[in-house]
Amino acid sequence: MPGRLVGDLVLTAPAPLRRSAALLALLGLHAVLAGAAPVLGRRLGPRVLLVCALAPAATVAWALARAGGVLDGRPVTEVRPWVGELGVELAFRLDGFSLLMVALVSGIGVPVFVYAWRYFAPRPDIGRFAGLLTAFAGAMLGVVLTDNLLVLYVCWELTSITSYLLIGFDDTKAPARAAALQALLITGAGGLAMLAGFVLLGQAAGTYTFSEILADPPTGTTVGIAAALVLAGAFTKSAQVPFHSWLPGAMAAPTPVSAYLHSATMVKAGVYLIARFAPALAPVVGWWRPVVVSVGVVTMLVGGLAALRQHDVKLLLAHGTVSQLGFLVALFGAGWEEATFAAAALLLAHGLFKATLFMTVGIVDHAAHTRDLRQLSGLHATLRPVAVVAVIATASMAGLPPFLGFVAKEAGLEALLHEGSSATLVLVGIVAGSALTVAYGARYVWGAFATKPGRAGAPMAATPVEPPGAAILAPAVVLTVATVLLGAVPALADPLVEGAATSLDPRVEGVHLALWHGITVALGLSVLAVTVGVALFVGRDRMARLQAALPRTSSGTEVYQATLTATLRLADRVTSVVQSGSLPRYLQVALVTLLVLPGTALLSGPGLPDDLAIAESPLQVVVAALVVGAALAAARSRRRFAAVLCLGGVGYGVAVLFVIQGAPDLALTQLLVETLAVVIFVLVLRHLPERFSETSRRLSRLSRAAVSAGVGTFVAAFALIAGAARQEPAVSGEHLARALPDGGGRNVVNVILVDFRGLDTMGEITVLAVAALGIASLVLSGRSERTAGLAAHDPDEPAPATEADGPVGAVSSAGGDRLG
Amino acid sequence: MRVLLPLPVVLPLLAAGASLALHRHRWLQRALGLLTLTAVLGVSIALLLEVRADGIGVVDVGGWEAPIGITLVADLLAVIMLAIATAMLLVVLVYAIGHPATEDTRRFFHPTYLVLAAGVSLAFLTGDLFNLFVAFEIMLIASYVLITLGGSEPQVRSGMTYVVFSLLSSTLFVTAVGLVYAATGTVNLADLAGRLDGIDPAIRNALGLMLLVVFGVKAAIFPLFSWLPDSYPTAPSPVTAIFAGLLTKVGVYAIIRTQTLLFPADGASEVLLAIAALTMVVGVLGAIAQNDVKRILSFHIVSQIGYMILGLGLFSVAGIAGAIFYIVHHIVVKTTLFLVSGLIEVSAGTGALSRLSGLTRRAPVVAVLFALPALSLAGIPPFSGFVAKLALVQAGLDIDQGLVIGVSLLVSLLTLFSMTKIWAGAFWGAPSEVEAPDDAGGDRALRPPPLMVGATAALVLTSLVIAFGAAPLYDLSHDAATALMAPDGYVGAVLDR
Amino acid sequence: MTVTLALTVGALFAFGTYLLLQRTLTRVVIGLGLMGHGANLLLLLAGGRAGDAPFVSDDGPPAAAADPLPQALALTAIVITFGVTAFLLALAYRSWQHTHDDDVEDDPEDRRIAALASEEHTPARQGES
Repeated sequence: MPGRLVGDLVLTAPAPLRRSAALLALLGLHAVLAGAAPVLGRRLGPRVLLVCALAPAATVAWALARAGGVLDGRPVTEVRPWVGELGVELAFRLDGFSLLMVALVSGIGVPVFVYAWRYFAPRPDIGRFAGLLTAFAGAMLGVVLTDNLLVLYVCWELTSITSYLLIGFDDTKAPARAAALQALLITGAGGLAMLAGFVLLGQAAGTYTFSEILADPPTGTTVGIAAALVLAGAFTKSAQVPFHSWLPGAMAAPTPVSAYLHSATMVKAGVYLIARFAPALAPVVGWWRPVVVSVGVVTMLVGGLAALRQHDVKLLLAHGTVSQLGFLVALFGAGWEEATFAAAALLLAHGLFKATLFMTVGIVDHAAHTRDLRQLSGLHATLRPVAVVAVIATASMAGLPPFLGFVAKEAGLEALLHEGSSATLVLVGIVAGSALTVAYGARYVWGAFATKPGRAGAPMAATPVEPPGAAILAPAVVLTVATVLLGAVPALADPLVEGAATSLDPRVEGVHLALWHGITVALGLSVLAVTVGVALFVGRDRMARLQAALPRTSSGTEVYQATLTATLRLADRVTSVVQSGSLPRYLQVALVTLLVLPGTALLSGPGLPDDLAIAESPLQVVVAALVVGAALAAARSRRRFAAVLCLGGVGYGVAVLFVIQGAPDLALTQLLVETLAVVIFVLVLRHLPERFSETSRRLSRLSRAAVSAGVGTFVAAFALIAGAARQEPAVSGEHLARALPDGGGRNVVNVILVDFRGLDTMGEITVLAVAALGIASLVLSGRSERTAGLAAHDPDEPAPATEADGPVGAVSSAGGDRLG
Repeated sequence: MRVLLPLPVVLPLLAAGASLALHRHRWLQRALGLLTLTAVLGVSIALLLEVRADGIGVVDVGGWEAPIGITLVADLLAVIMLAIATAMLLVVLVYAIGHPATEDTRRFFHPTYLVLAAGVSLAFLTGDLFNLFVAFEIMLIASYVLITLGGSEPQVRSGMTYVVFSLLSSTLFVTAVGLVYAATGTVNLADLAGRLDGIDPAIRNALGLMLLVVFGVKAAIFPLFSWLPDSYPTAPSPVTAIFAGLLTKVGVYAIIRTQTLLFPADGASEVLLAIAALTMVVGVLGAIAQNDVKRILSFHIVSQIGYMILGLGLFSVAGIAGAIFYIVHHIVVKTTLFLVSGLIEVSAGTGALSRLSGLTRRAPVVAVLFALPALSLAGIPPFSGFVAKLALVQAGLDIDQGLVIGVSLLVSLLTLFSMTKIWAGAFWGAPSEVEAPDDAGGDRALRPPPLMVGATAALVLTSLVIAFGAAPLYDLSHDAATALMAPDGYVGAVLDR
Repeated sequence: MTVTLALTVGALFAFGTYLLLQRTLTRVVIGLGLMGHGANLLLLLAGGRAGDAPFVSDDGPPAAAADPLPQALALTAIVITFGVTAFLLALAYRSWQHTHDDDVEDDPEDRRIAALASEEHTPARQGES
């Protein structure tokens, strides 16, 4: 299975794939550290995070070692079987794009782990946190490295679960729990759609190997459906409109989580998927390009506008992330090679600056104990180094030179310009989005660090701060250095970005990043965006009034809430109908089912046979009439004893019918059993009042009678029809023939019972024995209670708890309030 | 094979008798139970290997060949079910011995439990429709006794629902046997397969649906499931666990056996798929509406049965293979979850979500033991439920049954939702004030007995093994499904010897 | 199988069902008893026409012997049903000890949820569950 060939190598020889067991070992390392962290955490405290950082650090080291070959177009692969029959293979493949993603996942992972070490005060559950974060890092690594769609889904869902647990990490806070659930349900729903899409795609392509599907994409309507389902997964995961509501909610997580999962890595999973699929599917699925690009552009604008409204700086950044993810989706989604290249650069740039920004927010939050930009003031002086880092990261985000963000955005604008008129609308959208980015970027820097005007024109007093240590700032500084360096000298980032883009789309070859393209239209558009953005920021009060005046569009959270409420209500309604708690109702449902399923099947059959005998003897008719009469009396009787005696009468009558039918043994048994049954019945009944109480009548007499008549008719008709359907003689001919010679008995029924079908009889005895045991147990438990003086208690009181029902009693008495 | 095959039925029955005689010697009862079930497990595994190697094994009980006598038939499906069921019976017995309230004071627990094991084994192995009825009755009477052990008021009330409902279904079973015999003149399953072919298709269809209703009650499919969530939660945890894991699955087994052997369909069966979809949806909605751990889990049993019926309803090798894999996964995971619910009750003194909180801090081990099977139940990778779900999704989409597969995926999301309800309610949050009712107080009460935790952990591990070692189990399921889709093999093995 | 007997079976099922669908436990058990009689009779009738008792003499089985197999099956079924019914009656006895009445109670937890479903949902429940 050759990977997709790139560059000149196509002309020469198939690129040798390099195999490596290290890939699996690295994933294993993540898993082991994740498992060990909760234990280590008890001893090491927050330092456990440094231990866990070994996993991403090792990954980075390994990736660096392999980078040369990979960027030359020789992917590293690894395949291990899992469930071959289902197409699930532990196939991994490190190509250029995966390398870029590894740089994000593990490369930003290490600083985040270090940051988290200083971020947390010692707390008992730090080990659990470290474990979850490491598990996430491993799962995310799996997402970007696997070459099997189903394994990708596996890792994808693992990131959702770890994200759920991390968002809800401060689990005593109800909003955190609710936000965790919202994120899980939305991304989970998308994930399931994606799974269906993957399966459709895999079945259409005949393989679940990602690279093979991309190399030779299947076509047809199924693929269109599959693409839509896959996009549902990508859009939910990457917080695209209209599924973006969960991401701001996810800010309930501790800030290291926001920096890592919810800006730099996990939310890029959907972008990753779109990036991979776009070059292959955009040409074969007609609607792909317009839909994906529009969703991206709309998301970029919606997120940007929302960011302008936020007062919590963390939320501001979250909406900014939504916006930037839209930008990435728009660039990747088109499947245009130059745009793909630019998007790869932006992916890297965004990871660097957004993680940095979240880190600065966390520092500010810790230092000033607030994240509300209306309360923060004067931090540019008191937290000078933090402010510098934040300003650089923001500048990169806003696309100002000479930072990486600028280089990437410039490349994007160039790419769109080259596509000509088909991209004009996209271009307009993106320039508008960039302007918004400049505006909310300025809002962040100003909001977090500037000295605000207070009342009566005097500057607001500086917010009191506790100065942060150097160690907590170090990771942000490292990332910022990268932003500066890669921006100023784009050639440093060029191989990685080009390698990544080329592995997505071989046509990318030859495109390069540059800080300075000359005086171009793209530069002009950048200047325009910055100008408008600054204007928006300066006129922010007017802008705020304008936004307030506009009708608020649904943020999606309302839809989520409404869906949740509707589901809960539906659940209660349905359950109260099907699970009414009433036994007669359950039984009625069962009997109606009998009429509906086999009953209707019978109606379509041959109908009653023609040659029916009325009776075999007059005696039969008489006894049958007596039996039916006794049954009727049993049904009508208002007295318990009379009803039981009628039942006994039916039993005796049936015994007589057995005799007439030629079954004396059976009749004898029936007489015996019936007598015993009546005796037991009477023993129990003597405690009860003589007459039946005419209590509640949920089921009206009429419906009861209708079901009864239906069941009776059904059974009688079925009996006649089935009796006439016999094609072959019964097997019992053999029994008759062999009872004496082989079974050694004259009474054939006896021989059957003790010999031919002795197993039945053994079972029958077992049932009787266990029934006796059960009766003894019930009667004994009643007696022991009575001797303990507990038997006679008011029926309204709950039963006194015996030792058996400690938990049970608690369960049954757990009335009261519902969770909610 | 001839020697081994009857042992899963005979050994527990003999041991049950002995155990009853030993009712004054609790330790001997325990040892006997453990020993017997270990032996049966060994036998089951031996049978599994043998059937895999040599094909279907048949034993004529008493030496009377089919269809005169009763035959025990060990095909792959039967021995897979037997092996997994016995493993569960063994582990739950260990748990029950550790459980403070189940076995301690009840001398009838062990004999009855062993009878239950015998009944379950017989149900899997018998090749005779009427004997299947007897097997069901053995299993059921044991279950009646177990569910009412102690005889407390809620147990008696819910036991009543359970017994009355089961008795109705048993009566219908006898009726169905009568109708089948009237139409065909035999009760041997293999013989029936041939004879049913010859009768009017409408009558055959009606008989098939009649048996579906009969077994549907045991399997708790829509709309015949309502007895289950009302009766299971009141029993002691180990009893609920084994019921949840096994009893409904015996019903599912009977449905698969009869529908594939006696009433094979040409393609996907609309009736079964509709039942499957409704069972999944109504079950999970019921779970969402509940506020007690055991009740939530009980409704999930119903919902999950829908997945198994879905696999069967597809009537393809892949579908049935998925169903079998699902059953095995489900038996393990469901049993585990009920065992965990017992751990929760012991740790916190209640199973009501409104009174549970913060168990991750107070009982982190229980939290892990809950989280893994809960995710598996919801079909979240990389656990066994994912492989099971994947198998069904692939099988369904392969024959263009997108609608029902869509429903199944939606239901798995709702299942996840419902699991987070337990998680957020019981495990997250500030530790609750409710202390265990245990007089020994605080710390000791928070630690469930090691035997219970150990047994639960063993099952969690089993579930992980099923997930990561899914390939051999899936291959096995696939082989079993292939055999089921070609019933001639079964018929030939029983009749033409 | 004759029409008379089929109707008898049908009638037993019909009256049995009528009693089964009630709240009084005694009636429910009687209803199950009637249905059980119907089912056993049906099982026996599945053998076909009435005949001579299946005793084998030295000359072999009687020419018009009744089908022995359903007789054996019915016998087993009768005994099993008896055992279960006896257990059910013991349960009824125990229930009477607890509640001093003879009604099949609704499940309290189901009733609680049904009551909740009929109430209006308050937004307080929506946040998280």
